[in-house]
Amino acid sequence: MIEVGTELPPLQVTLRREDLVRYAGASGDFNPIHWNDRMAAALGLPGVIAHGMLTMASAARVVTDWIEDPADLVEYGVRFTKPVVVPDDDKGATITFSAKVDKVGDGLAEIDITALAGEEKVLGRARAVVRVR
Amino acid sequence: MTIDATMVGRSYAAAESYQVGREKIREFADAIGDGNPAYRGDDAIAPPTFAFVLGSRALEQLLNDEELGLRLDRIVHGAQKFSYTRPIKAGDDIAATATLTTVRKAGDVEVIMYETALTTVDGEPIATSTSTISHNRAEA
Repeated sequence: MIEVGTELPPLQVTLRREDLVRYAGASGDFNPIHWNDRMAAALGLPGVIAHGMLTMASAARVVTDWIEDPADLVEYGVRFTKPVVVPDDDKGATITFSAKVDKVGDGLAEIDITALAGEEKVLGRARAVVRVR
Repeated sequence: MTIDATMVGRSYAAAESYQVGREKIREFADAIGDGNPAYRGDDAIAPPTFAFVLGSRALEQLLNDEELGLRLDRIVHGAQKFSYTRPIKAGDDIAATATLTTVRKAGDVEVIMYETALTTVDGEPIATSTSTISHNRAEA
């Protein structure tokens, strides 16, 4: 039974430079701000940043790991509020995702997702809508 | 050239349809660190954000419109939303069309929204992707 206030199991994801390169290859998004310090600095960024779509994909896992079938996701949106800076070292950047059911009705559940890199919220208005059976 | 609000409504169709393969889905799932079994095997569906990869074929056409004068290396992704009619599946042959919906300017920065419709080549709706990007025209 899914109820308002239900908390989903949280998820921690660590992104290293190699993960950004792998995502660039798999997604076809070779924007240099995701692998080239010089180009990132030229755009005024604090360093090489993770693809927003990679952060968004990781955040979705909190929800799709929880529902039985990822096909039940009907809507999913985020704002990229702070860039996730990925240093060129072995530690990379760690993001902690958590989520809570905000609304249930009409066979759907609306879930709010929180994404924290350190103390910083890196996603805003991250929300998924799933079909509930 | 530069982009402005008079260009809202322009549509860009991906040059070719996208033939979704199960190995590509697995590669993408691996790249996002997602071991969900739904994304593997003969009946694989794609992770939700894979829809953006298909849409980027249409975005390429938008970037190729010289009148807009946009450059990928000056773009930062601001927001993204998807509405799914059904998941993308291995074996799908998918067409993507991006339409400019909003253009706002603030100095050298242009905030651009575009909507991408994903359908099968037979016209079955699959998903709609709504993207907000900011494009910085300032010389570094």
